[in-house]
Parts: sequence; C-alpha cells; structure tokens
Amino acid sequence: MVDIRLNATINGRKVSRDAKPHLRLLDFLRDDLNLTGNKEGCGAGECGTCSVFVDGMLVKSCLMPVAKAQGATVDTIESLAKSGELSVLQKAFHKAGASQCGYCIPGMVMAATAALRANPFADREEIKERLGGNICRCTGYQKIFDAVELARDVQNGRLPATALLETDTADGDVIGKSVRRIDAPSKVSGRLKYAGDMIMPGMLHVQVLRSPHAHARIVSIDTSAALAMEGVESVITSADVPGKDGFGVFVHDQPVMAHDKVRYVGEAVAAVAAEDALTAKRAVAAIKVVYEQLTPVFDPDVAMREGAAVVHDYAPDNITKHIPIRVGDVEAGFAESDLVIEENYSTQAIEHAYLEPEAGLAYVDHDDVVTVVSPSQNITHHRHMLARIIAKPISKVRFVMSPVGGGFGGKEDMIYQGMLALLAMKTMRPVRLVYTREESIISTAKRHPSRTNLRMGVMHDGRIKALAMRMVCDGGAYGLSTEGVMRKAAILAAGPYSIPNVRIDTYGIYTNNTPSGAFRSFGALQTQFATESHLDIIAERLGLDPFEIRRINAMRDGATTHTKQTLGSVSLMRALEAAEQASGWEAGAPAVRGETRGDLGHDDVRPSVTLGTRFAAGDTQEAAE
Amino acid sequence: MARKRGRGMAACWYGIARTATIDRAAAWAEIDDGGSAKIVTGVTEIGEGILTVLAQIAAHEIGVKPEHVVIGDNDTARAPEAAHAGASRQTYMIGNVVALASREARKRLVGVMAEMWDVAAETIRTGNGEIWAENTNHRITMGEAVACAKNRGVVPVGSATFGTDTTGIQDGKGGDGSGRPWQAYVFGCQVAEVEVDTVTGEVQVLAVWAAHDVGRAVNPQGVEGQIEGGIVQAIGQGLMEDYQLKDGHTSTSGFAKYILPTSLDVPRVNSIIIEDPDPIGPLGVKGIGEPAMVPTIPAVMNAIYDAVGVRVFDLPATPEKILLAMREKARREAAMAMQAAE
Ligand code: FES
Ligand code: FES
Repeated sequence: MVDIRLNATINGRKVSRDAKPHLRLLDFLRDDLNLTGNKEGCGAGECGTCSVFVDGMLVKSCLMPVAKAQGATVDTIESLAKSGELSVLQKAFHKAGASQCGYCIPGMVMAATAALRANPFADREEIKERLGGNICRCTGYQKIFDAVELARDVQNGRLPATALLETDTADGDVIGKSVRRIDAPSKVSGRLKYAGDMIMPGMLHVQVLRSPHAHARIVSIDTSAALAMEGVESVITSADVPGKDGFGVFVHDQPVMAHDKVRYVGEAVAAVAAEDALTAKRAVAAIKVVYEQLTPVFDPDVAMREGAAVVHDYAPDNITKHIPIRVGDVEAGFAESDLVIEENYSTQAIEHAYLEPEAGLAYVDHDDVVTVVSPSQNITHHRHMLARIIAKPISKVRFVMSPVGGGFGGKEDMIYQGMLALLAMKTMRPVRLVYTREESIISTAKRHPSRTNLRMGVMHDGRIKALAMRMVCDGGAYGLSTEGVMRKAAILAAGPYSIPNVRIDTYGIYTNNTPSGAFRSFGALQTQFATESHLDIIAERLGLDPFEIRRINAMRDGATTHTKQTLGSVSLMRALEAAEQASGWEAGAPAVRGETRGDLGHDDVRPSVTLGTRFAAGDTQEAAE
Repeated sequence: MARKRGRGMAACWYGIARTATIDRAAAWAEIDDGGSAKIVTGVTEIGEGILTVLAQIAAHEIGVKPEHVVIGDNDTARAPEAAHAGASRQTYMIGNVVALASREARKRLVGVMAEMWDVAAETIRTGNGEIWAENTNHRITMGEAVACAKNRGVVPVGSATFGTDTTGIQDGKGGDGSGRPWQAYVFGCQVAEVEVDTVTGEVQVLAVWAAHDVGRAVNPQGVEGQIEGGIVQAIGQGLMEDYQLKDGHTSTSGFAKYILPTSLDVPRVNSIIIEDPDPIGPLGVKGIGEPAMVPTIPAVMNAIYDAVGVRVFDLPATPEKILLAMREKARREAAMAMQAAE
C-alpha cells in the first residue's frame, strides 16, 4: 500500500506528512506525531479516551481512518493548555479532584469542553448526558460533574476565578485539608506519560501468541517461519527462560509463557519482537503450534470432585487454597437458635477494566541491569520473581513503576513483564508491549466468581448464635492472589458482629477458566454480600429494623474477632449512626416498605433518569401505558 | 406505578494493609536547598491520590507547603522498599513511614538551629516554610536554615521503616483460623436508595449515603473520591458487569458486551467521613480504598427488595433477573391467593 500525503492543521500548526493508509487518526496522532495525550482505551469507539476535535466536532479518533482527516483541523488535548496554562475547565478538574488515575481524563476534558461549548449553561443532568460516551473507572464521575459545573460557573461569571485556586493552608495545618492533587495538572493536560506513551530510540514492538485452547498439551512450537521474516528480531517461548520459571503472588505456578501445556484460553505461548507492531503481529501468525487436547474442567465444584481433570500436578484435588475459621461449636449454636435461615448466594467474574490496558518497556542498561518499566502495583515482589526467572542477582534487576492508569488489583500480577525482560535480554534493544483491550480482557485476572452457602441461627431478640459459611471460588488456571483472597474473604466473612459460634470455609479452586486474582475488596466483597443480605432476610423475619439487628450484634470496643484477636476501639456503632442520620432513615423492619416510606426523595438524591439511558425502551413502554 | 422506590442498608468491616503477614515500608526524606522537601519511597500513585497525601504529610511534619514537596520516582534500584500498591495500605504504611522519616530529617535541622540559637530544641517550631524559636526573635525561612545546616557540615536527612505487629492465621489442616491478621480495622455503613422500573426491570441507584471510618482524613476530597469510585465499581458488579465464559472462551471481550457504569448510571454519593484514629501509627490514619466498595452491593440488593419485594441472590441483578423474580413472586402470590380462596 502506498502512503498517503496528509495535509491538515493539527493543534494550530500546518502538518504535511506521509502516513500509512491503514492508520487510524489516533495512531497517526500518537505514533507519528507523538501527541500521546489522547489515549487508546478500547480501540472500538466505546470508551472516549481517544476523543479529539475534528473541525470543531468531538470525534472518537480510534474510529476515524487517517485519510478522513485530509484537509481537516484537528485539535487534541495538547491544544487546550496553551504554553502550559491550563484552560478554565482543566483548572476546574484540578480543583474538584476530578482526576484519579488520569487515563480517561484527556478524553473526558475534551468531551466536557465540547459540552460547555454546545451549552454554556448546561445543568448537571445535561452534563451527564453529554459525557455519556466517556468511561471513567476510578472516580465514580461525581467529581467530574462537579468540575464541569465549576468551570461553567466560572466561565459564566457566576463564580469568581479564585474559586479555582488552591485551598488555603497558610495556617500551617496541612493535614485534613483538600489540597489539590499534585499530579492533576499533568493528567488534565495529557502531559503524563504512561508506559504505552513512552518511546525509546531503537525500540522494538512486541506481540504475543495466545492459546486458543483451555487445556491442551503443547506438542511442538515451530518459530522458524516467524524468525525468518524481515523485521523480526526475536521470537521467544518457554524454552528461552534461563532460570526457574514461575510467578504468582503466593504460589509460583505460572510460567512466563506456557510450559508443556496451556491451561486457559488466552494464555501466552510465544512472543515476538519486531521493528514495528504490524510485523510482530504477522510473525505471531506465522508461529506454528501443535496442540493435543486435554479434558478441561470449567466448574469449580466439578473440579473438586474425585476424578476431575487436574489443572496442576502439584494440586491433584485442584484446591489452590482452603481457609478455615472456627469459633465455638456451630452445631450447638444452631440447636440453641430460635430461627435458622439458610440461603445460597453467588457472584460473577468481573473485569477490572482499568482504562489503561497493560503496557510496558524493558531494556538492558549500560551496567547490564535488566530494567522493566510498567504500571506494576508490586515492583518489589516482581523484581524478586524476575530475578529467579532470568537467573540474575537482584541487583541486576530493576523495576520502575510507570504511572498506573487504573489498577484495582489487576496490575499486581507479573503477567507480561517476564516476556519483556527476556526479549530485551535476547535483542539487547528496548522492547515495548501494549495490550489491546481485547487482549487485556481475555488474558488477565478477574474477580473470583463465588458460590456461597450461608446458614445463620438467631434468637427472637435478634442475637446471632451461629454462622456457618462455605464459599467455593473459581480461581481459574493459575494461583495468582487466590490464596490471599480466600484468606481475607474468610477472616471478614462473618461481618463486624460478635458471634459465639462460627464455622467458615473458603476454597479457591483451579479450573481452566481465565485466572482470578486480586481485585479491590479482595474476597471480602463476596462474603459480606452474602452476610449483609442474610441479615436483612432475618431482620424481616424477626420484625427488626436492619440497623437495629446490626446494632444488637455489633462488635464494640475491645471485642474479640472471629480470628480471636482483641480489638481496641471499634467505630462500627458510629458508622451505623452516621449513615442512619445522614440518610434520614425511617426505622422499620425491611418488609417491602418501598413507596410507603417517608424517607424517599430527599434533596441529596439525584433525579431518576428518564432519557438517554441504555434501557430507553422501558421508558417508551412506560409512556405508552 | 411502573417505577418503585426503596431503600436498603448494609455495614462492613475491613483490615488495613497486608493480611495475616507482617507488612513493612521504608522512606527517605531530605530537607533540600531552598527549603523544599524531598521524599523517596518505593511506591507511587495508582490513581488514589497517594502522592498528594504523602506531600501533605511531609509538609505537615517538616513545616513546609505541600507544593514544596518533591516525591522521587519509585524504582527498585533507586528507592527503599515500600512493598506494593494495594490492600488499602498506602496511606497507612507509606503515609506513616513518610511521617517518621520526615520527623527525623526535621530533627536534624532543628538540632543545628537549636545549637546555633542556643535554645532548647523543644522550643523550636516549623511551619509554612519557616523555622523559629518560641519566645525569641529567631525566625528564618527553611531555606536559610538548610543553608545554615550545610555550612556546619550537616545535610538534614532522615530515613525510617514502619512495620506492623501482625501474625499469620492458623489456617493449616485442623486450624481454627486464629491470629492477628491486621493491626488496624475500619468499619463502615451505607444506605442506598433505588428506583426499580417494574416494566423493564431496570434498577437505578439514585443515592448512597456512605459513612466510613478512615482513622484520620489527610485529604477529605481524596477520601470522597475513593468512596465515590468504589461505590460505582460496586454498582457495576451489582447490576451490570458480567465476564462471561463458555468452555473457557469469553463472549465479553470488549466494552460493547462488557457493560460498565457510565455517567448516567451513577448515584449521588453523600460521604460521611468518620475519624477514629489508629492508636499505633504516628499519624492516626487508616485506609479507605477497598472498604468503600464492600457494603454497596448488599445495600442495593436490600433496597431492591424494599422496593419490589424480590431479592437477587445471584449477581448481577440484571433487568432480566429482576423481571423474572418479580414474575415468580406474582405467580407464587397468585397461587397462595387461590389456595386461600379454596
Ligand atoms: S473510544 Fe476510542 S479508544 Fe475507546
Ligand atoms: S481517572 Fe478516570 S479512568 Fe482513572
């Protein structure tokens, strides 16, 4: 394909350059012009991180072929902060604390700029609608809305420009003040470089071959055709690991690339470093792997049965970890109880969906130090593991944590850094890997899906006498954080309540599903979902207010936990009271009081959405009634 | 009435820092030329705002403005170990250790000035970029003080390590799980108000009141940000997100199929920050990143039950599941009414 000559005005400058015709406008801006402020969060028009202005219109540049920008005026996030001076909206994002990881923020600022251009008086509900095409995974959007409202009011003169200034700390008291985030200017302006924005001279691009099978033996891997391709510098497989292969937060059961067999769809099998990403992609397609199918196991309860397919030889029962908690005599507690309620709960796998897909750079420096730059949530542990894998002393392994575009636990695992290090060592050139959204979703850890059986015995007065919980979690193909998740899930399972008889068992199980790993709230979310739902079921049966049943059982100062630890001060009663008061809660048993309640629709409740929701069909039906 | 409202609540508890193991972190501090502070520690921002929190803590301890604190890049070859960015441990572990290292650097500088001014070190105060001795005319800028120290051959540096007094739990064969997994615990409670569309089954979470103990809020806006973000992630899991697999292959490999909360799905979050200071660490701080997410889902499920009398036991509570449960409930009630009539 011949290059096209692109003439356009980009950020106020005339640009005339050759461009590959297959490029999207986003690639051209980021790769050819090094305007990396706008990001690629999805590549499919669904997240808004790539939003730019084309002839003044907000456009998702991942959907626009570069040729379409011929003759156009394109403005990226870099155009907003003229010579480093932030726009009013950017200052408002800074002031309102609207940026967290920052990865969505350039696109969000563009969309918000467009919103206020379209309607300088837009109210909060209109602002929400206008930002509906931009996903933020960190902030919960509230402070973003606050920021846009603040900018609107300053622009309209309803608020003075001083409303954007730093909180006053002249009295010297700095702690307890909402000082503006020191990293926000770099995020609202798109100046902050995430790993995928970084380039090094002579850098190679990495692509990964992934398993199409859930459970299969690797009979052979033939990399010769890939290696023979022009522009390909290196192809690696598990055979290239010089040291003791294996990583994981607790058990080191995961090889850098599949070794002997693959255990889940999407597992890395081989990796290529080439002069450009397209060549690397073609080389990946040229690698020939012969697999021999093995019986897979997908259900954790099935995996626990005798005779089930074994995922890891070291764990013939497929149990990654079982955590028991025992207090008192739980059966005696049930026998004593006036009421025993049993239910089953389950939670699904969810994706971290940090807006920044995995990315990293590696190089070997002048002192032979293997250096990996990546958004890792655990550089200390990664360096220990990598040193063993590449058989080097720790002093020759260096991890640098690049800005993390959202983690939520998903970047605690060393899933790709090993491949980068090996390729850097093989080629002695800098190498960079940037995952696509699809790659990120199919191959990285999820929250543990869970199945929980919960039995609780209570007295008529609401006191909990006994609690028995059994939770089975699908840990997927590798251990990652499963052991820790099961432990935290179990320790916190019974909630902050003093219960004399407790039996808790949590099981993390190997299957051939996508691995489960660390995810914000780490097992406690699954177990406490069950316990807190259960308490309401019981409160209804006993005719108790939900706050009341919790108060009756609440741990107090000096309480003993279910792991027999003595606590000091316990703030639970304060938290209950604060939430009850702030919400203006009307007391009563949770017996479907619904519309009869007197405490609904206060000022601090948002209006319900009637237009523009993704369930819009419902509204038409309602209107037709 | 096609839309019905209801309310629900749930409480939570959570442990701060690494679970059932000894956690630790280290930091270096230096009061630099010009009176700024330099902090180096092995962990950084994952979006939660830790850099700002550390800047505030160093500023507070040393007596400079937060904007005059520089935080070194974290790098295993250039910074002391601070372990990982997770477990709601950043403000607790790194915040506390930065306070300790800052105190040591300040002590060095104060020592020099006490000698120079011939006053007791305890009478020296720092704040807002200045250093002075109480009840005297001695008052200079931190920058001048650093120059004084250097002229006497002293670079005002400090370092510190902070570790937890925790243990594993007895979770081996036959174990009862006993142990001291954390030294700091937090508690919280949330109330959710929802509206359920009885025609479509769609649930909107209109408001959440979230009361959380954070020990001590270094940056209240940052704490709110964690609470708001956590609640919205939990609403994603509670109502819409679903990573689906069939025979090991996912059908949700993009955001078209993997549905995330957008600006139109989020409730108004009303945060109430509770401060029950941690008695062990030097600052009283605890953490908020993860606990913020824990009570949301049960509070929303309890609110859905309050609104329409159906409870979802299998997440997520999609419109289809809610409609199915409502239909089943109606069928059950009709059958019961028939029985009663017979
Ligand atoms: S919308 Fe373009 S990258 Fe997501
Ligand atoms: S700040 Fe929006 S995705 Fe992180």
